[in-house]
Amino acid sequence: MASQPNAEEAAPGAAGPWRLAWRRLRRNRIALAFLGLFVLIVAFCLAAPLWANQVADTGPNDTHTLEKLGVGGETREVVSPSGKPIGPQWFEADGKFFLGADGRLGRDEMVRLMYGGRTSLLIGFSAAAIMTLLGTILGLLAGYYRGWTDTLIARTMDVIWAFPVTLLAIALGLALAIGGLRIGPIHLSGESIWIPILIIGFVFVPYMVRPIRGEVLSLREKEFVEAAIAQGASPLRVMFAEILPNMLSTIIVFFTLNVANAMLLESLLSFLGVGVQPPNTSWGTMIGSGFDLLTSAPLLTLLPGTMIFLTVLAVNVFGDGLRDALDPRAKVRVQVEARAGMAADEVSGGVAP
Amino acid sequence: MRKHGLVLLVLVLAVASAVGLSACGSSGSKEGGTLTGSYASFPDFLDPQLSYTQEGWTAMFDTYLPLLTYKRANGVEGSTVEPGLAEALPKISNGGKTYELTLHKGLKFSDGTPIKASDFKSSIERLFKVSSPGSPFYETIVGAAEFAETKKGEITGIKTNDKTGKITIDLTGPRGTFTNELALLFAAVVPADTPDKNMTNEPPPATGPYMIDSVEPGRRFTYKRNPYWASNNGPKIDVVGDGHFDKIDIKLVRNDSTQVNEIERDKTMWMQTLVPSDLREKIVNKYEGTQFRVDHPIDIYYFWMNTQKAPFDDLKVRQAVNYAIDTEALERIYAGSMVAAHQILPEGMPGYDAFNLYPHNMAKARQLFKEANPSDRDITVWTDAENPNDEAGQYYQGVLSELGFNAKLKTVNADNFVQVIGNETTPDLDTGWFDWYEDYPHPNDYFQPLLAGESIAPTLNFNHARADFPPLNAKIKKLAEEPLNPEREAEYAKLDREFMEEAVWAPYGTNTTSTFVDSEINLDNVIFNPTFGHSLASFELK
Repeated sequence: MASQPNAEEAAPGAAGPWRLAWRRLRRNRIALAFLGLFVLIVAFCLAAPLWANQVADTGPNDTHTLEKLGVGGETREVVSPSGKPIGPQWFEADGKFFLGADGRLGRDEMVRLMYGGRTSLLIGFSAAAIMTLLGTILGLLAGYYRGWTDTLIARTMDVIWAFPVTLLAIALGLALAIGGLRIGPIHLSGESIWIPILIIGFVFVPYMVRPIRGEVLSLREKEFVEAAIAQGASPLRVMFAEILPNMLSTIIVFFTLNVANAMLLESLLSFLGVGVQPPNTSWGTMIGSGFDLLTSAPLLTLLPGTMIFLTVLAVNVFGDGLRDALDPRAKVRVQVEARAGMAADEVSGGVAP
Repeated sequence: MRKHGLVLLVLVLAVASAVGLSACGSSGSKEGGTLTGSYASFPDFLDPQLSYTQEGWTAMFDTYLPLLTYKRANGVEGSTVEPGLAEALPKISNGGKTYELTLHKGLKFSDGTPIKASDFKSSIERLFKVSSPGSPFYETIVGAAEFAETKKGEITGIKTNDKTGKITIDLTGPRGTFTNELALLFAAVVPADTPDKNMTNEPPPATGPYMIDSVEPGRRFTYKRNPYWASNNGPKIDVVGDGHFDKIDIKLVRNDSTQVNEIERDKTMWMQTLVPSDLREKIVNKYEGTQFRVDHPIDIYYFWMNTQKAPFDDLKVRQAVNYAIDTEALERIYAGSMVAAHQILPEGMPGYDAFNLYPHNMAKARQLFKEANPSDRDITVWTDAENPNDEAGQYYQGVLSELGFNAKLKTVNADNFVQVIGNETTPDLDTGWFDWYEDYPHPNDYFQPLLAGESIAPTLNFNHARADFPPLNAKIKKLAEEPLNPEREAEYAKLDREFMEEAVWAPYGTNTTSTFVDSEINLDNVIFNPTFGHSLASFELK
């Protein structure tokens, strides 16, 4: 039996923009598959305390250099006298050292991978939130007020932009790693996880401000904005109640891409020792500490590297799918696809994709 | 006729083979050719008055000779001071304040200029003119402190006679370490007209068996034989080898795994760097005794505790920390290259007498900690970021947390670590990691800069424990004035124990280094001096 074309599908204009976007996203199987992968990664990281307490019976920073492991009547050293860490034990030791030890300190690699993921994701999302929030506010102010406000904000962003983002982040990381950050009554010590979050959030702000400003400049000339101004709406109301809702799709897409960028930069900073400070763990610090054992225990570098790769890939592909779904220009494609689907149905009697 | 011709040909070939074989057999070792080596980091300076790294000292050990020099020998024997450019060890008089030496006659620099006694004086003055990090060793020479400030005039405490080669050095006070200091590279003799600037790119003429031939900063440097060594200097200075290779080619290979790989493939003959820890086990199993050997520089690795600030101002807390440290765990963290130690003076240093006041005992550590019951338990642990020192720091933080402290770890880039923890304005300098490699094999080199109260400085402080115990300070001062002999060595051993009774540090080991050469080099003859590292003149083909 041939399926009936959905009424909303046949007449896209009848549904709200968010509903339409969701419908487009649902059709993008690849984006959904990577969203699924991302959810799995998040679930894996959130399960860290469960695995650490119920299975591995150790914390992420607990060292076991001199401990021995009983495996099937055999005794295995967590770290050999020559400093070689034990390899993956899978379930042979009841889940302890499932992926082996992380190095000569004999910490459980699996537990650190899970906890490290929590740190990396936390930094990725928090830094992305900061840069998105700051970028949106500054972009709105610059694009709406124009004039000296725009000049001031744009030039400030240009100054930050003039520094290579990685070098700027490394320099800030180095400077803040020892003394921490003191802003008025707020004091963050050098090993605080908020230091890399703030650094990453800060250095990427210009990359957010410019496109937002451009879109505000364009939206500001639209009739609905002029109408709101004519009705006496305050600038704040125009910016946040009229213009901002019309940019939400752009902001959401940027946010996902910012998460990926923030996670990559965090990995780099932590690898170089200026991001997450030991003994705290993140995937970046794990690559850094595993790098010294690259020849004898390559898994210690490959595992966190793969996790970063999969997470960034998942976020990027899903972000692309989201952009396709939220981008108004995609409407045309959807309509063409819908018509093509209907035509195919008529010809073959099959189910529209 | 044809038959006779064939017989003749066989005879000729047989004789030729016999001559060839006997020639090989008689030489014993092959001379000439080029020694190829690799460094992981370029020497800080190729200028004897300026260099203060192992890379630089190894590079110039057989190139620039001081009046006295260290014996080209492995282990403890390598700490012996011998005459270098001087005819004999110094004659010390005037209560240890006057040193008299005489320069060998007929010595020449590698450019052919005669070496004069006054070149020694100008070399010491050059130390101060170029603001060498080694200049403080020579500030006790009369007039040196003033010269250091003004950099004008002369150091009046050095008198030389170019005709007789006699050199007289007057000190402001007795200094028992001065003989050792005269044998450092800082006191190497260079021509008087050597410019007062860093000469790395154009190293001064040499006095040893090799001269630096070319330098490509950050990439490579090469040597050739000093043309005046065999004819002039070598016959008089027999404590320094003549060298077996005609040329030496050293290149920079930053990755130590690549260095190993090149040696295994016989592409490089020697690596100056320690073999990487993750390859060490494989290399030991495969090459120990044939191409690989463990060597012992004189060093100590330890955790210091700030004795002037709570909670480490309490002896019981410091003792608890010492009992809590398990050196076996640290040996594994250093991948087997660390040898456990529990005292200030490392093995190989005169005055070393092994003891362990605090064998690992966590129960005892907890008991002492409980008795001390420190009110301030929030502490900061400082360590550098270089592996495995960073892991040693993490281990230490874990031990302190286990003991009951709320320990925060601060990991500082290795390039800035000394400056950061040596600056009194850095907050929370409670405890941390450090290592100390000898400047010269004299126990004072450990006690004076690291534990004497007068060494506590606002910047570049090395007395991180801020140890300031007046009776022990007085002993350090008194011993420093006297020349080293078996009696003094016994007193240094006692001092070592007294400092450990105060538990100012928790020492945990001495790190070893290694010699790794390719299959062509005769490993048995390669010399590793504990102060200077490898002697390039000792390398020869099998």
